[in-house]
Amino acid sequence: MTLNLCVLIPNRIIWDSEVKEIILSTTSGQIGVLPNHAPIATVVDIGILRIRLNDQWFTVVLIGGFARISNNEIIILGNDAEMSTDIDPKEAQQTFEIAEANLSRAEDEKQAIEFNLALKRARTRVEAVNEISY
Amino acid sequence: MSSNLATWVSPKLSDFDSLPSRSFLSGLRLPFVARSRRRFLGGAGVVHCNLREIRDRIDSVKKTQKITEAMKLIAAAKVRRAQEAVVSGRPFSETLVEVLFNINEQLQDEDIDVPLTAVRPVRKIAIVVVTGDRGLCGNFNTAVIKRAESRIADIKSLGLEYVVVSVGKKGSAYFQRRPYIPVERFIEVGSLPTTKDSQAIADVVFSLFVSKEVDKVELLYTKFVSLVKSDPVIQTLLPLSPKGEVCDINGVCVDAAEDEFFRLTTKEGKLTVVRETIRIPTPAFSPILQFEQDPLQILDGLLPLYLNSQILRSLQESLASELAARMTAMSSATDNANELRKTLTIIYNRERQAKITGEIVEIVSGTEALG
Repeated sequence: MTLNLCVLIPNRIIWDSEVKEIILSTTSGQIGVLPNHAPIATVVDIGILRIRLNDQWFTVVLIGGFARISNNEIIILGNDAEMSTDIDPKEAQQTFEIAEANLSRAEDEKQAIEFNLALKRARTRVEAVNEISY
Repeated sequence: MSSNLATWVSPKLSDFDSLPSRSFLSGLRLPFVARSRRRFLGGAGVVHCNLREIRDRIDSVKKTQKITEAMKLIAAAKVRRAQEAVVSGRPFSETLVEVLFNINEQLQDEDIDVPLTAVRPVRKIAIVVVTGDRGLCGNFNTAVIKRAESRIADIKSLGLEYVVVSVGKKGSAYFQRRPYIPVERFIEVGSLPTTKDSQAIADVVFSLFVSKEVDKVELLYTKFVSLVKSDPVIQTLLPLSPKGEVCDINGVCVDAAEDEFFRLTTKEGKLTVVRETIRIPTPAFSPILQFEQDPLQILDGLLPLYLNSQILRSLQESLASELAARMTAMSSATDNANELRKTLTIIYNRERQAKITGEIVEIVSGTEALG
């Protein structure tokens, strides 16, 4: 059986092809999906999506979203997503540092919520970039 | 410097008062006002002025016409790009709607309470006002701002508080000049709205709503109807309704009729035509879908996505409307300039002829006097 993966974000399609396996960061931990997976619906956290195409692994940064797996068809709807190869490491690191600084300056609950989200996003991007350098 | 300029300008200006050029200026600045030109056409015969001045004026009309022509073409090209953006966003929104519909069906019987759907008695309303970044697009920005003003008046008359989230430079400039209108945030959107822009707006709106600072969020944007028609509309952004029905707050929820929120099937069609409605086919779908998390968490993850895509769509529509409005405005400005140039050329030729005739008469009468 083949497994189809479709990663969509509001303005474009990030990935739409057959894959061998994916590892998805859900809000309740990472799950690996192989062909013939049980049909599930899950919330995707801000995190890294690993995709195996034949013997090659690809990394995608997913900024939260939703996934539905059924009939060997994975649909991932993301707020935003980026292939890790498209991220500029320097820029990612910088954004991360700015986000950290911002959080420590948060004044009220409202700002704290906002800055925490921004920090999480920035951290994931940095992680994804560092991963390819292995 | 300024006084110097004034003295330099004023004689010229008073000269031009006698010239038809007054109406030319207003004709170009407000491309839709063509009325004043009529007057000048009728009175063209009595105008008396310097030939060189008319020539200069014709030149300047020509130059302005070139500019408006170029702006029109640019706007036309950009409308096409905006259209492409809407089209490329379609796979996402269609799939999202399908998935949401599916999940909703499965969750119908469960009693769920998600922060984004919390219906509270309304005390304060946040209004997100989406305007453009530039002018010269007819009444596009004015229409949005007027609508915002009337909405604010409505809210005030209901005895509620409000706060504005201003998107776009034109709206921000307007609200900055009116410090008595409380503004939460000024947001600028790039030339082509992206997820980052909608995310930024969603973040602000989300934190306002979740921190219970406001109890309702409304989005005011310009809906793209066709190339010549666009309407500022208000839709309720938050609280979201998990079951797909319009919010009902005991009589306080105004404008519910205008809400096309959560109508799961509405997608705008090709930008040039009236919106088409696509009924998304719900595929035969295995009902034994397991939820990895609580249904509550699932909706919590799914609804912000919906929020984002709603905001993005409204930004895209707003941009398309702005560009279409600019196209129309610039095309009528070009037409006006064209007509004006024609009339000015006629006046110029007539003056020239009159001058020549005058000279000939002088010569003839001179020779007659001699002879």
